Amino acid sequence: MFIENKKVRWIIIFCSIALALYIALPNFYPKSDFFSGKKKINYGLDIQGGIYLVMKANVEEAMHARMQKKISILKSDFKDEEIKFKSIEFKKKSLSKIIIQLSDNNKDKVKKTLKKIHNDLQILLEKPSSLELSYYEASLSIYKKQVVEQSIEVVRNRIDAFGVSEPQITAQGSDRILIQLPGVENADQAKELIHRTATLNFRPVYEEVTTDTLQKWVSKVETKNKFSLGTEKSIRLAKNAKIHLLKYRQYIKQINRNLASKLPKNTKLIFQKPPNAKTLEAGRIPFLIKTDNDLSGAYLETARVGSNEYGKPQVNFRFNIQGQKRFAKMTAANIQKRVAIVLDDIVQSAPVIQEEINSPTARITLGSAGDIKETLKEANFLATALRAGALPVQLEQLEERTVGPSLGSDSIKKGKLAGMIGGLLILLFILGYYRGLGVVANIALTLNMLFIIAILTSLQATLTLPGVAGIILTIGMAVDANIIIFERIKEELAKGAGFRSSVRNGFSQAFAAIFDANITTAAVCVVLMYFGSGPVRGFAVTLISGIITSLFTSVFISRSILEMKILNQSKRT
Amino acid sequence: MIKKQINFLKLTPLFLSISSLLVIFSFFIIAKNGFNYGVDFAGGTEIQVQFNQPVTDASIRQFLSTQKIKNFNVQSFDEKNEFLIRLDALSDLKLKKLTSNFKSTFSSKGFVMRRVDSVGPQIGSELKKKGLLALFYSLLIILIYVGLRFDYEYAPGAVICLFHDVVITLGIFSLLQREVNLQTLAAVLTIIGYSLNDTIVTFDRIRENIALYRDKTFSWIINSSLNDVLSRTILTSLTTSMAVFAMYFWADGVIRDFAFTLGIGVIVGTYSSIYIASPLVQFITKFKKT
Repeated sequence: MFIENKKVRWIIIFCSIALALYIALPNFYPKSDFFSGKKKINYGLDIQGGIYLVMKANVEEAMHARMQKKISILKSDFKDEEIKFKSIEFKKKSLSKIIIQLSDNNKDKVKKTLKKIHNDLQILLEKPSSLELSYYEASLSIYKKQVVEQSIEVVRNRIDAFGVSEPQITAQGSDRILIQLPGVENADQAKELIHRTATLNFRPVYEEVTTDTLQKWVSKVETKNKFSLGTEKSIRLAKNAKIHLLKYRQYIKQINRNLASKLPKNTKLIFQKPPNAKTLEAGRIPFLIKTDNDLSGAYLETARVGSNEYGKPQVNFRFNIQGQKRFAKMTAANIQKRVAIVLDDIVQSAPVIQEEINSPTARITLGSAGDIKETLKEANFLATALRAGALPVQLEQLEERTVGPSLGSDSIKKGKLAGMIGGLLILLFILGYYRGLGVVANIALTLNMLFIIAILTSLQATLTLPGVAGIILTIGMAVDANIIIFERIKEELAKGAGFRSSVRNGFSQAFAAIFDANITTAAVCVVLMYFGSGPVRGFAVTLISGIITSLFTSVFISRSILEMKILNQSKRT
Repeated sequence: MIKKQINFLKLTPLFLSISSLLVIFSFFIIAKNGFNYGVDFAGGTEIQVQFNQPVTDASIRQFLSTQKIKNFNVQSFDEKNEFLIRLDALSDLKLKKLTSNFKSTFSSKGFVMRRVDSVGPQIGSELKKKGLLALFYSLLIILIYVGLRFDYEYAPGAVICLFHDVVITLGIFSLLQREVNLQTLAAVLTIIGYSLNDTIVTFDRIRENIALYRDKTFSWIINSSLNDVLSRTILTSLTTSMAVFAMYFWADGVIRDFAFTLGIGVIVGTYSSIYIASPLVQFITKFKKT
């Protein structure tokens, strides 16, 4: 167990100390350029303040929508194949089963069609006049996972727009989403952002009023009623300004209300961000869109990022059958006219329709002159938003924990103070009680702290308040290992053994007890990590790191130091 | 060895009966009083607010009653114009309304929202279930590990001893109606770890002494093992108490609650490893022989 070669031993010790110092040091220099790129310990939200949310993705609802879609597709496919049927519907109690009531003696034909076109369905139950179908279990669970993943993607995109540094958005269990936003104070704003659903619409442009005229109308209304579009920040800063700054939604509402008498019936004024403008606030092109003819994102099946023949990013999407029909109808009715692709009331693009498009696929080319990376990011966002539109999943909030930054800094200050006082008390006590041996124990303890910090930093584990408590406790428990060893050494000395053999025997006899005790505690930690949530898990991580480091410091390092001492003594004599 | 030996085993019957009574009493208290579950387990909303000017809890209560909130509990911190408010689980919208009303009503008093914990009842019961499972599996793993590393006669002693510690700690929580939350759970599990640490050090010594003194009786071995490790037990309890002491007096909030639980744990854990775990090993060994 113990390495006998002294050189190797000291090389290991010095290397590990150097490595630990290298990893742990950035934590002690909060604002140094030298360490700027290095990792630091992640403080939990209870320490640095922030928001912790657990959301439930309403997977059942998404399943329901998907089944509904599937049933309508089945119906139209059967019509195309000229298969007669009485009805296709959900089984009453279970939403995951479809029942087809057959009308003629055409069961084999139905089964053949199903196999050909809908091989993702399996036949559960066959009766003379009906078939009971369901998705395969595997495909169901994949779908559920997809729903959650897509929700996470959407949430992440929205949070990114919020500008939180290092947000953590992860799946938890089969239908939960855990959102951690360190440093964010305004929970309401964050939640609003998360819950906002992107809606996609295709709407014909009302072209009888020119853009110039619309522009004039808008500026007239703005000056008359003293309002304008503002960013989140400018709205917050300019509370008492002469011009009332509004968020985009309110802004649109206000404009449409004020222009109600001028706007043609069934139209709405919305805006597009011109390609050379950075934000919508900096420049906006008004569009008048028809509200009585639309094709919403609910008819989409998929949306993906691709690129067109010039290498520009574009979003390819695919309509379902109903969507395709509606799209064909809309394009046929608007040949040589423009149809706006509208996302969250913002016009993304408004291509001129050349001919009727009767295909399930369509695309939005993002032809802005800007940075290709930016455009790609935008394309990704759009694709995600479109998919979100195609998969409406409600997020229900299950858990919220918000810690204001003042409480966080207070508690870390006090936690640190308590840790230092506790540690100091122990160090002094050990020194007073064991004298010379105490110095060795204290070196081991100090190194122990350094190693814990290094491990926590390199693991990028999140240090929560219970975690701090765990560290404080580790100090207490690490002392125990030293005490066990020293008591053994003292026993050996009392028996009249020499110092050298006492140290040797003391360590080897103590080892079993230390090892057993630590391993069992580690086992408990593993259970905690598995079953615990959030703070408890953080506690387990620190404790387990502490166990590893205290085994290393109190057994390996202390012994090496003591043996060196013995060597020096024997050299002197 | 001429060292003065304390006869621990002489007092075993007395302490075993006291412990049994304590465990029964704890069960009784828990059955009667139940636990004061925090929002983690019960579900609900907990808000911690602070003002930079004096505010009475009466004014907060009055404010809450105007907000159409039925069940609430206002608790003040010492002299810091800080309050802890507990409510039934609020919907997202209601919580939002409440916080903004809070801000507007108390804006002149320098209102700061320090913390909001809102846990839905579904999550609460889930966390509770997970907590119990964690406790159960910890004990199971310890049972298996001790059984493998030592002899299986030792394992029940260790587990019963831990069970004893957990039940008494929870009994104290129930008696004092202290809040039971996720941190409490972490602390209770730490107690298990600590008490187990103590127990195993003793067991290790017993195992060693059995090999050493083949001609001695088992009770003599247990007693002398307890004496062998006594100075270590006292020293470790002292150092751990120092850490706990510092946590209790210089930290606050979560860490202080944590320290309280650990404090109980150090006392109960040290006691039980001496007076419960080892005598039980003796008892089980005797039982096996007959």
